[in-house]
This record gives sequence, structure tokens and C-alpha cells, in this order.
Amino acid sequence: MANVRLLDIKKSFATLQVLHGISLDIQSGEFISLLGASGCGKTTLLRIVAGLESVSSGGVEIDGRSVTNLPPEKRDIAMMFQSYALLPHLSVYENVRFPLRMRHIGSRDEQDAHVKAALETVQLGHLAERRPRQLSGGQQQRVALARAIVSKPKVLLLDEPLSNLDARLREDMQVELIEIHKRLGLTTLFVTHDQEEALSLSDRIVLLNAGRIEQQGTPDDIYARPATGFASNFIGSANLVPAQIIDTPGGPAGKLADGQLLPLPASETTRGEANLALRQEDIALAAVNTDGTLKADLRTRVFLGARNRYVLSLAGTTIRALTANDVLIEDGAPVRISIAPERIRVIKG
Amino acid sequence: MVRAVPTPLRILAIVFVILTGLILLAPLIVVVGVSVSENQFIAFPPQGFSFKWYEKVLASPEYLSAGATSLQIALLVTLSATVIGGAAAIALHRRQLPFSDILATFFLSPLVLPTIIYAIGMLMFWSAAFGPVSTFTLWIGHTVIALPYVVRTTLAVLAESDPFLEEAARTMGAGRIQRLFHVVVPQCIPGLAAGAFFAFNISFDEAVLSLFLRKPGLTTLPVQIYGQLEFSPDPSVAAVSSIMIALTIVLIVIIDRMLGLSRFAST
Amino acid sequence: MTDRAENLILALPGLLLLALAFFLPIAQMLVLSVEGANGPTLEHFVRFLSDPFYLGVLWRTVRLSFIITVICAAIGFPLAYIMARVGPRARLWLIVMVILPLMTSVVVRTFGWMVILSRGGLIPALLRDFGLVGRNFALMQTEAAVVIGMVQVLLPFMTLSILGVITRIDRRLEEAARTMGCSFLQTLRTVVFPLSLPGLVAGSLLCFTLSASSFVTPNLLGGTRIQVLAASIYKSVTQVLDWPFAAAQAVILFVGILLVLAPYVKMTARNNG
Repeated sequence: MANVRLLDIKKSFATLQVLHGISLDIQSGEFISLLGASGCGKTTLLRIVAGLESVSSGGVEIDGRSVTNLPPEKRDIAMMFQSYALLPHLSVYENVRFPLRMRHIGSRDEQDAHVKAALETVQLGHLAERRPRQLSGGQQQRVALARAIVSKPKVLLLDEPLSNLDARLREDMQVELIEIHKRLGLTTLFVTHDQEEALSLSDRIVLLNAGRIEQQGTPDDIYARPATGFASNFIGSANLVPAQIIDTPGGPAGKLADGQLLPLPASETTRGEANLALRQEDIALAAVNTDGTLKADLRTRVFLGARNRYVLSLAGTTIRALTANDVLIEDGAPVRISIAPERIRVIKG
Repeated sequence: MVRAVPTPLRILAIVFVILTGLILLAPLIVVVGVSVSENQFIAFPPQGFSFKWYEKVLASPEYLSAGATSLQIALLVTLSATVIGGAAAIALHRRQLPFSDILATFFLSPLVLPTIIYAIGMLMFWSAAFGPVSTFTLWIGHTVIALPYVVRTTLAVLAESDPFLEEAARTMGAGRIQRLFHVVVPQCIPGLAAGAFFAFNISFDEAVLSLFLRKPGLTTLPVQIYGQLEFSPDPSVAAVSSIMIALTIVLIVIIDRMLGLSRFAST
Repeated sequence: MTDRAENLILALPGLLLLALAFFLPIAQMLVLSVEGANGPTLEHFVRFLSDPFYLGVLWRTVRLSFIITVICAAIGFPLAYIMARVGPRARLWLIVMVILPLMTSVVVRTFGWMVILSRGGLIPALLRDFGLVGRNFALMQTEAAVVIGMVQVLLPFMTLSILGVITRIDRRLEEAARTMGCSFLQTLRTVVFPLSLPGLVAGSLLCFTLSASSFVTPNLLGGTRIQVLAASIYKSVTQVLDWPFAAAQAVILFVGILLVLAPYVKMTARNNG
């Protein structure tokens, strides 16, 4: 395990600039997620750390040593590809042994021990003699993982490794990844577009937007305190409602377009025009007009099994609320919503 | 689909295929038939049944030496075409050389040019530059026309391979030569094998090139057959031809086993 | 070593081989075609193009090639369609049926036709039995024999070329046409045929080129009375030993083929570019 430093990395393909100066310090043993939408540059950044892409400017350091001009085979890394990239002409065993062979790590017996240990970690010891094409998608993915950890690399790079799996398998693999990371403690860089995945796996999340770091922090940090409109939109499912932040006898409040007032925590210092970020799951619905509730118009109800999603119009802005299944509002019925002040984020811009 | 093809057309299609099959295969069937005839006149259907023409062929010094020459050259060509063509296909597949498309056309150009034009050019060039032709000349000439086949089959196999394998191998510490031998070449092997068998077949059967690039003592089997056909064929020609047909069938079976013929159906 | 250097090394033997052993000989032939006693001359070309005998050879070559190509297309298109639409088992057998003649030596195939078409052969016998022809009828040494022999040789090329394109036609287009009221034959005419034209054209060019330049089959089946351009070249090289004249004829053949190919190449370049 090693620490990794990204030093003001810029990358352009022909005339298109994809990365606009990324700097990042990754501690030894950290699990970092590179999170973002398609095209934000996260995979390019990962490939730069791997050495599969060169930088246009800037540098990469692993354990204090600059590797910017080193080809991938000379960096002590391992990478898991989205399509697994298993060598079809080799058995599972030989696939996992491949990095040890190429890097000349250990004697034949030692290699055998390492391979067996890696296969045990992913629970595929019994399939060692099969060929990749004889395995299911989930099993192939585990072989790719075993192959990535067997050489105990300084940095483990994962390029959306779970996106080809169906939902149930993906959840299982997420749990396994957490356990493996706890056990081996490898410095890990994980690329995903799925914010829930990032939230559940990472020590730290780096949110990328159009080639720049939008925000970085622990999952808790980013979820509770998204710094920008983009961040709050991307992480957690937030609604943005425009409001004027004013002072009222009861403390600061957000005045909506239709005049309704949404109380804010006393500690809120922003005043003037802003957006209020309201998480879908934080909005409570009621059918009765009690104190502290606001009026909203019901548009549609979407049945999601364990939960319902309500599409509402609040002061002219369409918002969505996510509630448990036992809260049932009739179509056409008047709706009151409420939200705890501490759950509201004020976003300027 | 219900009633996809109207029944009368279906019957017509079957008849059509049978007739076409006859056109395509009749000459071959006839040759084999003649080869077992008792009679020394070439006629079909054959009269009698005898293997004596095969015996005659296998005892004839001209046929044996021509066969040996063909075999020798074919084996050499298989080796050279497979190695050179395979390497070229790998380079072309990676598309990192300048003018990749033009280069690809370049490597396939012997397919487009009629063999007779190449044969003349080769004869004139060789005579002007080196004098009399030799086995070496035939080896080079056959390699040139077999090369595109190897390139094409290898490229076809490479096109279906996983494009990330080499990158994955790099992240696993594989250096340049390691990647070639442990990842790229194993990927190519079905294409190389099929190409090798095509190359053997093409060289062994090649008539035009060998007809121009010959001299007394340098006769390949097809040339020997051609000579007999021009003047005084007896059924031993049929026997030799049947042996060649059998060889072709064996090669087709092998290629199909290794790769599946359907892959090369679209030429 | 960079990636580029590695690829260059891999491609180099092939490049050298083709440059030295393919393009150089072609160049040599071009040079020889204008060789004269007193320096470069066009006398060989003039000789060919002003002699009615040779012009007749040229015309016959073109005419026969055209007929052969048309017949191959007429047979090849339905055959390719059938091959594309039958089940995999049947298709494999059909492919073998088509590839087997392709992979046997041309002398072997032609020999078979010699047997079938000669005086004592099957077809004349059949025709005689039906009273269609006289007693001495032989198909050998006629243009018909050459056409039949060449069609068998070249049909696989045409068929495989069209097959490659038809297999890529989305079957659902045909299904859609049927749901819109087209009969099977109408679908063939309005959907399949236009979409398979690229294969048809490529196959036709291939057939034309190969028949214009072949001499083994025409020589053996047509004999000395039916001479085609390639046979004339062979004669000039091996019997008359007039190499410059042979080279000139080869150039004429080459140019003729290029003339036929050029519009096609331009057309596809425009479509792809």
C-alpha cells in the first residue's frame, strides 16, 4: 500500500480538454471513489494513474516517487477493468497467476500459495481449472478481482467493476469489496457513476464535474453538506427550490415564490436570493393542515414497491418526495408538506 | 414467419441448389470416377474398376518428383507466409502505424491483381535481376500470393478479440515481448492456423505462377498435370487429381474444425 | 522501444517482401512493355492494337468475361440468398459445396470438364440421346465450353461475395416488408436485391477480372481456336519468347481491368469518405 499524489493533472485529447487541473492527495490504505456522470473525466483520471494514458501536464507520484513517465508495467499497480479482460486461453488459476509471472514475484511454490489465497478470498477456489468462458458474469468479475489483489499492488484501480452486474449481485459484491478492503488495506481508487455505491464503499469521495473536482470529502460530509447545486443534485436526491432568505421574528426563513415561509436553522447566515436543497427522503407528507406545514399541489404518485414517490408542485417549482408505503395520499387531495429546518441546505448559486 | 416462402418457390429452390451443386461438383466427381476406370481411355462413366492408375502414379518418377517439389515448396511457403503475414496482421490490427488503411490495402493487393500479370512480372524481374528461376523463386512468388490470406484470417480473428487484453497485461507488469508472446500471439493462433492451411493449399494448387516460373527439373504437380492434359492424358492424370482433391478435402475439414468455415464465408 | 517501433518491426518483413517481390516485378513488367531496340517505344502496343487478330482476341476476352460474369451473377444471387436463409447445418454443407471447387487446383477442375464435355462425354451423349444434336457433336473447343468451365470456377467467388453482404442485411427489414403487404418475391425485389448490390458489384468485378485474366481453363477447354488474351500472353512468353510484346499485352490487360474497377473504387470511396 502506498500513498498517491495527483499534481495538477491536465489532459486533452486533440482539441478537447478533459481534465482541467486535478490535484489530489490519497493516503496509504484509503478507499477513494471517483464519482461523476459520464464524460466527467473520472475514467481518464484512473487510466492516467494506471499509466494507460499520458498526462498533458502535471504529474503522478506513488509513495513519493514520480511515475508520470513510467509505463503501466513498471508501476506497481493492479487494475480491474469494466469488462474484466480475462485472458481467454488461460485457466482461472493461470489468469490469477499471470501478474506474479510477469513481475517475477516469488518462486513457483510461493506463487501457488498466493494464487490459492487470492482465489479463497473471492471464494472461487473450486473453479481454478475452468476457463473464463465457462463462468458466469459474477464469477468472471471475481476472478478479475482475485487477479488484481494477488500481487499486493501499491495501488488498486477499479474501473466501474460492478456496473455490468445485476442489482442483487452488485450489492453482494459491494459488501465483499468492503470486507476485502478492510482485510488487505490496499490503497484503492474506485470509479463509479453510482452515488449510492460511492457512499457505501468509500473512505472519501471525489466528485468530478466536467474535468474538475466539484467537491471531496467523507461520504457523510458530502451527503449532509453538498457545497454546490451540482453536488446536491448528484448526491442524495435533492430538490432545488428558489427562495429569498430573510429574517423573521422566529429566525431566518426562506420565503418562497408564493409567499410561504420555510423556517431555517438559527445558524444560517446566508441572506438574499438562494436555492433551498430539500432531500426527497426528508420531505414529510400529511393530509391535514397542522402547524408548520406548507401547502403543495399533488401531481402524480409513483408506486415503487417499498416506497412511494410523489411529484408535487411547491410554490411553482416541481419537487419530488420519497416516502414509506404506509403514507397514502389520494389523488386530488390537498397535500401538506413539512421538513425539519436542519435538513434544509441553503445553496448560493 | 408463416409461409415465409411459397411452396412452389421452395421446391424450385431445392431443385436449383441441386443443379448448382451438380455444376460445382460434377467435374470433381468425374475426375474421381475416371481415376478408377479399367479402361485406358478417359471416359465417364468409367468402365470397370481398378486402382492401377494410382499404382502407376505412385511409381512414376515424374509425378513423384513433381509431387515432392510441390510439397517442399508448399511447406516452405506455409512457414514464411504464416510468420510474415501473422506479424503484419498484428501490426495492422493495432492501427498505430501511419496510413493504416492504405497499408491494409497494400497487404491485400496480391489478391486483387490477376496472377498472370504478377507471374509475368516476376519472371521478367527475376530473369533480369538474378537469371534463371529456381525453387527459391517459386517460394517467394507463392509466399506473395499466399500472404494476403494469412493476413486476412488473422485480422478476422484479432477483430473479435477483447481490445483491453493488452492493456490489462500491461497493468499486470507484462513488458513488450511478454505481451506479444503471452497475450497477442495466443489470441491469433486460430487465425494463424487457418491462414497456414490456406497458404499450404494455395501453394500446392497454384498453377499459373508455377507455369511461368518453371524450367526443366523445376516442375510442380499442377504443372505436370497441365502438361499431360495438353497432350496425352490417360487416367493416371485422374488418379493424381483425385489425390489432390482428397488432400483439399482433408484441409477443408481441418480448417472447419479449427475455426469454423462460416467465419470465412464472407470473402 | 516505442509502440510504433514495435509495430514497424512486425510489419517490416511483409512490407519488404511485397515491395521487392511484388511491386518491383510489376514495375519491371511495365518497363519491359515499352522496351525497344532504340529506347522506349510504344511499338508493342501499336502492334497489338492495330492487328485485327489481336483485337479479336481482346474482344473475345471481354465478351466472354462479360457473359460469364452475368451468368455467375444470375446463379450466384439466388444461391447466396438461399445460403443466408437456411439453417446452420444446411448452410455449412452449402459452404463446403461452394468452397470445395474453390480450393481445388484449377487444372483438376478443368480436367473434369474436359471429360464431361468431350466427344465421348456425358453431356454430348445426353444431348445426342435426346436427338438434339448430331453424331459428331462435341462441346470441347467451343466458347460454350469455356463459359461453362469458367462459370464453375468463378461462381464461388461471386456467391461468397454476395453472401457476405446478404448476411448483414437485417432480417427484420424483410419481415417489415411482409407485414406491409409485400409478397416474398416482391420483398426480394424491393428490399433484398437493392441492399445486396454492393456484394453483387464486388463479386461481378472479381468475376470479370478473374475471367479476363485466366488462361488455364480457356486454353484447355477452348483449344487453340479459341484464344483469349491471357493465353496469348502465355504463348508470347513461352513459345514465341517475345517478352516485350507479352509485357505490353499484360499491361493492356491490367489497364483494362483498372478501367473496369476505377468507377467502382471511386463510388465506394465517395460513400465511405
